[in-house]
Amino acid sequence: MDKHNTTNQKDIDQDIVNLVVARLKTIPSNANLSVGNNKEPMSVDVLIEEVKKQSDIGKKLIESQLFFLRSLQNLPA
Amino acid sequence: MSFLITRPLYESVTYYFYHWSEEIVKEAKRRIGKIFDIEKEKVSKKLVESYLEKQNPEIVIFNGHGNDVCIAGQNDEPLITSGVNSHLLKDKVVYMRSCDSGKTLGPQAIRDGCKAFIGYAELFQFWTDKTVTGDPLKDTYAKPFFETSNQVALSLIKGRTPKEAQEDSMTKYKEVISHLLISDAENSFIVSDLMWNMRNQVCLEK
Repeated sequence: MDKHNTTNQKDIDQDIVNLVVARLKTIPSNANLSVGNNKEPMSVDVLIEEVKKQSDIGKKLIESQLFFLRSLQNLPA
Repeated sequence: MSFLITRPLYESVTYYFYHWSEEIVKEAKRRIGKIFDIEKEKVSKKLVESYLEKQNPEIVIFNGHGNDVCIAGQNDEPLITSGVNSHLLKDKVVYMRSCDSGKTLGPQAIRDGCKAFIGYAELFQFWTDKTVTGDPLKDTYAKPFFETSNQVALSLIKGRTPKEAQEDSMTKYKEVISHLLISDAENSFIVSDLMWNMRNQVCLEK
């Protein structure tokens, strides 16, 4: 099933990675994310490692966080 | 009208899909004459193909793991694969709650004659609270992800068109996200992932 586990070359700016890691660190420790075809949900600590190593899942997390942050620019002033 | 839903159950993700689909099954039983609730070990390729061919349900809801070319049933068995048996979705309205289903499988199903296909152009993701995973319906982290996505199926059951069902779901997303953005609720961190699902939920039509 899983087409998202291959690790690609690290090509995302380190500042962006640090930003996403900082956001993930604010999430309660009892929260797990079910993403992709992983059979078990992933803890915040695991997610942070995925982001740091820029795995495919990590890159998807970065993409979703950046999408959210960019969306905030569209909020009415 | 007839209705078919698949609810595999074999690990934590399908456990949540299974239980959060109970609301859909309940509403379908209340409003629709013929219901085919294919659950747990029964969610096999053979049985699903048989129901699609012989019972010809007008609305079909799939829950489960998948990728851009297939949706899986119990224990990851591929049920529908793009270009292999996607023609079985011909003349049906389909909602596939599964990762990447709107990328390749959805467009192929439409080319094969599927009336409408609602799915996800990227990964479907949701948060869970590990202190309450034994009771998914009490999980406040997961609830917004399933309330918003369930809306597609609930609207279809109520007779809304696929486009209207998609719009109803989008409205639900906006309501939930707006509420979370201005609240200090413990689960407000889920907003970015809700927005991700919302952005990637696609409605394809003939």
